[in-house]
Amino acid sequence: MTAQAALAPDLPQPTGMVGLLDAPVTVGPDGPVLAGPAADLATHHARYGSAGGLGGGALLAALETAGLTGRGGAHFPVAAKWRAALGAGGGGLVVANLAEGEPLSAKDAVLAQRQPHLVLDGLALAAATTGAVAAVAWLHAGAVGTRAALEAALAQRHAAGVRELPVHLVEGPDAYLSGESSAVVAALAGLPALPQFRRTPAAVAGVGGRPTVVHNAESLARVALLARTGAAGYRSTTLLTLAGPRARTVVEVDAGQPFAALAGLLGGWPVAVLLGGYGGRWVAADRLALLAMDHAALRTAGLSLGAGVVAPLPPGACGLAETAAVAQYLAASGAGQCGPCLFGLPAIARALRALADGTASAGEVDRLRTHLGEVAGRGACHHPDASVSLVSSALTLFGDDVAAHRAGRPCGGASRAPGLLPASARAGAA
Amino acid sequence: MRRRRGGAAHLVVDPTRCAGVSVCAHLAPDLVRLDSWGYPVLERGPLTGADQRDAARAVSGCPRRALSLEEA
Repeated sequence: MTAQAALAPDLPQPTGMVGLLDAPVTVGPDGPVLAGPAADLATHHARYGSAGGLGGGALLAALETAGLTGRGGAHFPVAAKWRAALGAGGGGLVVANLAEGEPLSAKDAVLAQRQPHLVLDGLALAAATTGAVAAVAWLHAGAVGTRAALEAALAQRHAAGVRELPVHLVEGPDAYLSGESSAVVAALAGLPALPQFRRTPAAVAGVGGRPTVVHNAESLARVALLARTGAAGYRSTTLLTLAGPRARTVVEVDAGQPFAALAGLLGGWPVAVLLGGYGGRWVAADRLALLAMDHAALRTAGLSLGAGVVAPLPPGACGLAETAAVAQYLAASGAGQCGPCLFGLPAIARALRALADGTASAGEVDRLRTHLGEVAGRGACHHPDASVSLVSSALTLFGDDVAAHRAGRPCGGASRAPGLLPASARAGAA
Repeated sequence: MRRRRGGAAHLVVDPTRCAGVSVCAHLAPDLVRLDSWGYPVLERGPLTGADQRDAARAVSGCPRRALSLEEA
């Protein structure tokens, strides 16, 4: 899979303070992300200035003022996690979560491969501020590009005498849920990398009962920027993965940038967009047009950026059939631990498949809606909720299609190979 | 967080432990209904009085030790 820089015909490049990416980065539709050359330590320092800047309470205050939230998808306030770890007495772990389980997302791999030192600076700051005694970078098996970039960056830091905790690279299985933060905590505690039912947040009592602060790569890079600039000088941007059937493009957009500015990179104006990834929601592109592609603005509109995935419905594709394929993938990707997810997601996927094929009975469609109501909120992790939100949004947005398919008149796109699945998952989902 | 004696409480299920045995639905029928696959959907509470006593029976009757009463 070759990586290349792509030009952005319509997207205004972020201005002012240097950002995370110089230009959009295009990677293949599937497989390990290979994002091209990483900045070495000297380049990193020339670009961003040497590490240092804010720490301790001043950094916590800057994170709060800037409103930095986690970019893995849940958008939990970063400072709240750190305060929880401090409140529990520190002495714990910090984890850079680079697993990026969301199949359509490539932004964390691109970031870690282009700016590994920024992610590692953020990890060191998280460790120092929360009083951690160990630092881990969590990868999934097969992430060769990310692993190579981190190993090289860590060697450079060691050679340069950077004073920070040693970072242990730990590899987990290449599975959808192995990047889920409670699964990461479980794996680091020596258990299978599966989500856990947690009563206490991991930031308070995680691995071995110690405070365990798990952050996505982009979140950590933003911590490193905020430590350098403070909240007043911080340029708020967002990394997005624009996921098309043939390529994914990772772009950096300034806060306030509307969805319409991405149209050129999406190769035309889509009817609908899967926003957030497989656990996201279908949204009409016309509704998104003037909305800013940042977490705060989307939340105000009742939407979520999730893991930053923007996947247009391919031209001529059937939204119900695409969703059925993804729902089937999600049903097969569960941990198999919780009954409602283990039985509910396959039932939902089967019913949606029948609906997409135009073979669902009226009773089956009613049962699908019942199941959607039954499954949400009933797993140890949010995997079932994500599937429910995806399927529910499809039934709403593609309501006209639901009526036609129900009447036994599936659209032409329903028999096409699904365009939103990774190739590795397509064979089993056709 | 475990419950103090006497206070209101929530009935909580650990879905990774629950195997859909459904004893809870028999012991506390007003607090537990079963979904399409036989797994419990709980009345979260806060529970007091007779409800809390039923919930406590369901907690101790669960063969999977999947239920707990937690401080409201």
